[in-house]
Amino acid sequence: MTTKRLSIQRYLPEQGNNTPYWQDFDIPFDDSTSVLDALNYVKEELDGSLSYRWSCRMAICGSCGVMVNNTPKLGCQSFLRDYEGPVKIAPLAHFPVEKDLIIDMGLFLDHLAAVQPYLINDSRLINDSEEGTETFKQTPAQMEKYKQFAGCINCGLCYSACPQFGLNPEFLGPAALTLAHRYNLDSRDQGKKQRMPQMNREEGVWSCTFVGFCSEVCPKNVDPAAAVNQGKVESAKDMLIGIFKG
Amino acid sequence: MAKRTSYFPELKRNWWLKHPYFKKYMAREATVLPLVFFLLCLLAGLYSLLQGAESWQGWLTFMQSPLVIAVNALAFIASLFHAWTFFQLFPRVMPLRAGGRTLPPNLMVLGQWFGVVVVMVLAAWIFMRGL
Repeated sequence: MTTKRLSIQRYLPEQGNNTPYWQDFDIPFDDSTSVLDALNYVKEELDGSLSYRWSCRMAICGSCGVMVNNTPKLGCQSFLRDYEGPVKIAPLAHFPVEKDLIIDMGLFLDHLAAVQPYLINDSRLINDSEEGTETFKQTPAQMEKYKQFAGCINCGLCYSACPQFGLNPEFLGPAALTLAHRYNLDSRDQGKKQRMPQMNREEGVWSCTFVGFCSEVCPKNVDPAAAVNQGKVESAKDMLIGIFKG
Repeated sequence: MAKRTSYFPELKRNWWLKHPYFKKYMAREATVLPLVFFLLCLLAGLYSLLQGAESWQGWLTFMQSPLVIAVNALAFIASLFHAWTFFQLFPRVMPLRAGGRTLPPNLMVLGQWFGVVVVMVLAAWIFMRGL
């Protein structure tokens, strides 16, 4: 079995080492070895002190995001066979690093919560005495409008790909703005009015300069760049309507 | 509980040199630079037209100098490159729907290039008539 050199960025503050450093490991690999498999091999066979997040191994849970050669990737979805030469693994960019490959996603979760990414619909509470017993109805055509943007698994790769978020962490960022747009497009939702003030802010859609790398790295092909820029159209419409309404 | 000591790597000014994708993005943004030069040339042309025949002749000579032609040729290529990238982004930002279906992106890109050709032919017809 051939081996591949992995350079992993380590950060172990509890050992009194407050600067990150690189550590090399040689990993035996074949065509089926993913970056996550390689990290598991390091932890099980070479150095048990390595810390990283993972769970499902099939690009659903969104927890194993890391920078592979400077590009945000899911560890379970990238394979050593695709990389020539040594592979550099670092924690996701633009987030505070807690330990080794573990980042603090707190800011990302705050931004998500800020856009209220859930169905807001009070009609049933008013019209229906048996509230919550009826399901919402939606035609396939109505679902088609937002379906692509509903695939987000909250892995945070788009935030690591976004230089605007890197320069200003207050920017709501690709995933949050995509989910805001996704719910605004949903025929069952009535919460657009509550979300628009967040999207209209300078740290909302208008901080995006359409670099487009978020859509490039998205493991679920959600195309957040498209959603954010469609959000700009919505935001402009919202502002114009606001002016005419006075 | 131990005190949290997180490390926050700051984004340096040269962040866009770290990845080929960002370099391409910056190239797209930089297409504005030769275009600014072209616009300044146009403004100078208008100004010299107001100043009289001599000034106008001076501007014509300036526009014929090889360096100016080279930069303006660069501006033309840069604006075509920018249009090429922009036209591809357009169907993603404003997906058009007709008869309950989204128009195929390729068709929208082709439509925009068709628009460019129409404008070019129109401009050629207007400005070349007298020649």
